[in-house]
Amino acid sequence: MATVQVSEAEKVYILHGVRDDLRVDGRGCEDYRHMEIETDMVSNTDGSAKVTLGHTDVLVGVKAEMGKPRPMVPDEGYLEFFVDCSANATPEFEGRGGDELGMELSNTLYKVFNNRYSVDLKSLCISRGEHCWVLYVDVLLLQCDGNLFDAISVAIKAALFNTKIPKVHISEDEEGGKEIELSDDPYDCMRLNVENVPCIVTLCKVGHRHVVDATLQEKACSVASLIISVTHKGTVTCVRKVGGGSLDPESIFEMTEVKSGACALFHTICPHPGKLISIECSVVSNFNLIRTSKLVTQLHLLCRGNSLSV
Amino acid sequence: MPTDTKRVRGPEVSQSPSLFLCKNAVKKSTASNDARVDGRQRGQVDVRSVFVRCGLISQAKGSAYIEAGNTKLICCVYGPRETERKDETDMKSGRLITDMRFAPFSCRERGSWIQGSDEKDLSLMLLESLRPGVCLQKYPRSQIEVNVMVLENDGAVLAHAVTCASMALADAGIEMYDLVLGCSIRQEGATYLIDPTFLEENGYNLASGSRENLGSLTVAFLPSLNQISGLQSDGEMGEDTLTGDVRTCIEGCFKLYPVIQQALSKAVRRKAPPSES
Repeated sequence: MATVQVSEAEKVYILHGVRDDLRVDGRGCEDYRHMEIETDMVSNTDGSAKVTLGHTDVLVGVKAEMGKPRPMVPDEGYLEFFVDCSANATPEFEGRGGDELGMELSNTLYKVFNNRYSVDLKSLCISRGEHCWVLYVDVLLLQCDGNLFDAISVAIKAALFNTKIPKVHISEDEEGGKEIELSDDPYDCMRLNVENVPCIVTLCKVGHRHVVDATLQEKACSVASLIISVTHKGTVTCVRKVGGGSLDPESIFEMTEVKSGACALFHTICPHPGKLISIECSVVSNFNLIRTSKLVTQLHLLCRGNSLSV
Repeated sequence: MPTDTKRVRGPEVSQSPSLFLCKNAVKKSTASNDARVDGRQRGQVDVRSVFVRCGLISQAKGSAYIEAGNTKLICCVYGPRETERKDETDMKSGRLITDMRFAPFSCRERGSWIQGSDEKDLSLMLLESLRPGVCLQKYPRSQIEVNVMVLENDGAVLAHAVTCASMALADAGIEMYDLVLGCSIRQEGATYLIDPTFLEENGYNLASGSRENLGSLTVAFLPSLNQISGLQSDGEMGEDTLTGDVRTCIEGCFKLYPVIQQALSKAVRRKAPPSES
């Protein structure tokens, strides 16, 4: 992870502040930074999203390709994740430097989506045992200012929501061979149901308390963090402890309670077609830092990306 | 995909015959039982009995072998050695390097000798689990290498690798705060299976009613200090189930603790020179 050097005096300052529920930028321990989500920006992909969380910038592109299903599950498609830490983010990522972090992020994403409910894989099947849709989710880190997991998970949820998979028709010809036809109409496509796609919340242990959405300075003061991925119903799909320190079992139990508040926030941001109007009010009441007008423009962009499918 | 130029590869299309097994027959025979295949009970903290032995590899500074049911792992520790890279952090504390590999014949399907992303992920988790237990600040400018090789994979591999690696570190004389023990659990619906076998881990014995709460959890724990040094979960679980499972894993670790301590003290006594009396 991109790191900053923090002096002892700064560490003490941050620790004491967190103890009194006051962080360096004025947030409380359970507040997120200003977040902006934009979808449908890369025209060559089937779905894309860009998330800006403070100074962290993440761009996700989803491309759907036809492939052979896995032999153990012939009636399901699958997702492939790849995270690329671009050298734009920090000079540490130049050359092979970003590979380790990219691999850690991709492996965590595989674990997060490794269950039957997040994405309906059966809807990605074209013909059993022969053809299926493979969704290649490629994540690009543009800027790194801490809290990568959260930004990536929100971006993936938004990109999957934005994904339009063309509808295919399979026709049999005389000799029994199968022909695959893509419909000519570019708006004739299938959308994914992203209701159950989980979002990741990272909780960093700073001193005796935990903080949500840690910046790089706060990360340098913490020894261990807990990554929890939750769906909107509250089911936990993946928990992981990262970092070289150890955690008290009691603090882990405390952290699992905190995450439910944060995840409710996330799931309201990623809209459903029918629920756009109500989101404006609920997000404004939860986020004190967002200016309403900026959020409305973002939501309008999301609306536009959405209306094409109607 | 990295290719291994040193080995002559078989045809690309070779597949394991287990893919063509009639799966329905396997499922029906075991789904109706309440007890597990190897006689242990569901819903009880019933870890498999382990066989552990230290000091079997003469070349390594410390080594350990663990057998739990059919899962067999071997671990060796080399170090402290001089480190190759001279970063600023190495001046103050040592570095721990872990490597976990599967032998190609260890799983049902033949694996490859090249380290896949799963193995790198497991190595990283092993590192995170062991780091809090080792007193690295006593070994500045050095590195300690821990290599784990899985000889047979019959479930709960990461948990036993953590236990085996901490035994090997103790056998090597590396200073540690406490032993790190690992325990794995598989949640299926309302019951849990502690220390699952490979078949149980991959859901082959799925009882027909459990559509919710299906997941696995691995915990690495330091018993005397009551600290969790590694936590990893998969699948989907409710929040209460998760906290309940973590507590169960901690109980499982406490059950394993006296066995490991006994094996270590035996190994130390064997190494000590015979007393003149």
